[in-house]
Order: sequence, then structure tokens, then C-alpha cells
Amino acid sequence: MKKHKLIAAILLGLSLAPAASAQQFEKQAYDKACASCHNTGIGGAPKLGDPNDWRVPVAAGMARLYKSALEGTPKGMPAKGGLEGRNFTNSEIQAVVDFMVDKVKVALGATAGAAPGAAPAGAAQPLPPVAFNFNRLLKPMDKRNLPPSQDGIHDPANDGTLMLQPPMEGMADLTRSRFGNNTDWVASLQGKKVTPRWERDNPFAEAMVMDLDILRAPKAAVQDVVFPHKQHTEWLDCSNCHPAIFVPQKGANIISMPLILLGQKCGVCHGTVAFPVSECAKCHSQKKGASQAAAPPAQKATGKP
Amino acid sequence: MSAPQRWLAALVLGLVLAAPQARGEYGDVVLNRYADKAGVRPVVFPHWFHRLRFTCNVCHSEGGFKMRAGSNDITMGEIIDGKFCGMCHNNQIAWSAEFCHRCHTGRPGLAGGFYGSQDPSGPSGGGDFNQRRH
Repeated sequence: MKKHKLIAAILLGLSLAPAASAQQFEKQAYDKACASCHNTGIGGAPKLGDPNDWRVPVAAGMARLYKSALEGTPKGMPAKGGLEGRNFTNSEIQAVVDFMVDKVKVALGATAGAAPGAAPAGAAQPLPPVAFNFNRLLKPMDKRNLPPSQDGIHDPANDGTLMLQPPMEGMADLTRSRFGNNTDWVASLQGKKVTPRWERDNPFAEAMVMDLDILRAPKAAVQDVVFPHKQHTEWLDCSNCHPAIFVPQKGANIISMPLILLGQKCGVCHGTVAFPVSECAKCHSQKKGASQAAAPPAQKATGKP
Repeated sequence: MSAPQRWLAALVLGLVLAAPQARGEYGDVVLNRYADKAGVRPVVFPHWFHRLRFTCNVCHSEGGFKMRAGSNDITMGEIIDGKFCGMCHNNQIAWSAEFCHRCHTGRPGLAGGFYGSQDPSGPSGGGDFNQRRH
């Protein structure tokens, strides 16, 4: 009953009040379900109010935008914005999409916020192609974090399966991300949202963290790679990587993306248990040649690829 | 392509797409070198669950697990002797090996290797959907 009243109130508000105050609900819903990505543009999410980010999606038509919002996209948009938006109705989600498009309507021209199904002004132009999914093996987010009995590999007929903790429960309090377990393990560890033991028998043992960045300048036209020892040594022992995977010597390691995709070098973990290679910018994080322009900081060691 | 061929292709595609997909959580590893042959369900090892509680160091450095799916020859005998899973699954740190069905939870017949992750399928990769290593 309460919900009906709320919806009635929203509808009334929409019809009577000027746009700014009618969007109270949409603003709240946006803050809850969408803001974490669309405020900052994480993972290519169109930033709220940035006409450049919204030009292409809006030109493709509102119907398509609604569909992306409701069902998610291979680029990382979770259906209904993920967990937080799961309880919103379809029309509420559409209202939030309208709210987001409204923010750039003026900049893009008045046709952007047309009614659902109405042909946008740009309909004559061919639709922009849907971006090619970088790696077909990477599953869309709404297909992840399923409880063991539904994930396809556990046997639901087994009693023990039902005793296992569902991933969403175990990782609920961690820092979310759009890759891997939908969890940013490094950020969660640094924020003390997860406190894994360093040694089996000694709860007080702490990792020997080494804060040393290694810079690698790939020949290809991609950003330089900054490898941070710090985040790695918080989880791993030196011997996990050295010397078997990486020879601890400047210039001694040949690393390439094909090798990584085949599960070698960084790919021993990145793609299996650590964040996958779809997250290019997490490693290729420094502007090309930036370290040569300025003198490298004292803590930086450079390694030739 | 003639019409019947098209129909056949569509049918095959439909069957492939409709087949239940094994997904698993990112980092889930299925171990089935011995399980199926011994008449028990394969083991599903969840990385996410363990790294909530222990750093990689504990198993991959202290515990001696090699970081390559299929490269650790794990038997129940060794687990009971306190090696591999048995270094914690000993009724002191975690449940002991007598609770078979808590670890042996996989669908029978599931090939070993990574499931939830993007699976390296190279020559020495962790195995892929077609070519599992164990």
C-alpha cells in the first residue's frame, strides 16, 4: 500500500511540479544504484551531465537506452544498475534513465528526452555498432556471484552445496568493482574491509610490504605500465613470483599481452584470480613517456620490456 | 546455404546456447583428477572464500600449492596427512576431511580447471573448457 502511495505521489509530482522537484525520486534512486559508476565514469560509464559521454547513447534512441539500463550491457552496465537497483520496477528504472538524459538534454538538443519508443531526431543516422566485447570469456556481471546451487558447477542435489556460503553474502561488505568477483580485493584490503591472515598459525604476522614501482614502457601505442610491488606484496610472498615467473633483474623479463592471455607472466593470476586483462588501464596507467619527460622519482625503478 | 542447412545450423546453435552453462564464481577451480574415478563428486575450490580469510601467501607459499590449475597432485591420503588442503582442513582451523560433501560439491563429470574466470587456454595454461588438464 505504501508503495502505491509512493508511486502515486511520484506520478502526481511528475505531472504537477516543475522538473527539478519532480526528480526527487529519480535523484535518490540514481544516488543509490547508479552514482557509484556514473558519477565518476568508472569502466566507461557515461558520466552524469557530460554531453560528450551521452551523445552516442542518446543518438541510438531512448528505447535502446532503457533496454541497456534494464538488461545490462556487455560493456559492464549491470542489469538495473546491479544489486542496488534490483528492487526498482522497470518504469522506475526508465524514469532514472530519463533523469540522467535530462541532465544533458540542453547540451545535446531538445529531442533527447523524447517519450519511450518515440523516434529520436538522430534516427535517420545508422545506429552506432555495439562495442565488441573484449573477451567473450568474460561473463556479464549479472551472471556472476550466483549462489553455489545455481552457478552450474556445484551439484544442487548435494547437501553440502547448500551449506556453502553464497558469494554475495561473503563479499557483500567489500569494495565493489565491475570485474572478477565484482570485488576490488586490493581496495578492500587497504580499506580493512577484509583482513586475511598472512600466516596460517600466527594471527599477528604481517606481510613484508615492499613499496617499489616498476615502470615498463611497451613498444605498442598503449600507456606505460606501472607495476606496484606494494599491492602485490600485501597478498603474496616474493617467492610466489620470483624467480619462477619473473626473473628479479632489470630487463630480464619478456612480457607481452599474448603471453599474459595464455596464462603466463602476469596472466598466472590476472585472468584467473586477480582482476582480468579487460581492465587495461589498471596496469597501463601512466602516460606514455611520462617518466622520460620528468626525472623518475626516487622510488621508481625502470625495467625495459 | 540452403534452407534445411540453415534450419540445422539454427537448431545446433540453439542447442548449444540452451545447454546449461557451467559458470562458477570468478576463481573457482574444479578438481577432478581422481574424484569421478573414485565415485565421488568433483571438488570445487572457491578462491574468493579463502582469500577473505587468508592471503595468497598462506596456501601458495607456506602451503606449497603451485599456482597453476592441474599442477598439484592432491589425494585424500595427503590431505589426511596434513598436506595441501589438510594443512587447515584438520578440524583445528577448518572442518576436517571427514566432511566429504562440503568440498566434493561439483556436478559429476565436470572437467578440472578454472571455471568462473577467464581461463588461460595456452600450452601450459590452466586448461580450458575443451582441454582440461585433470
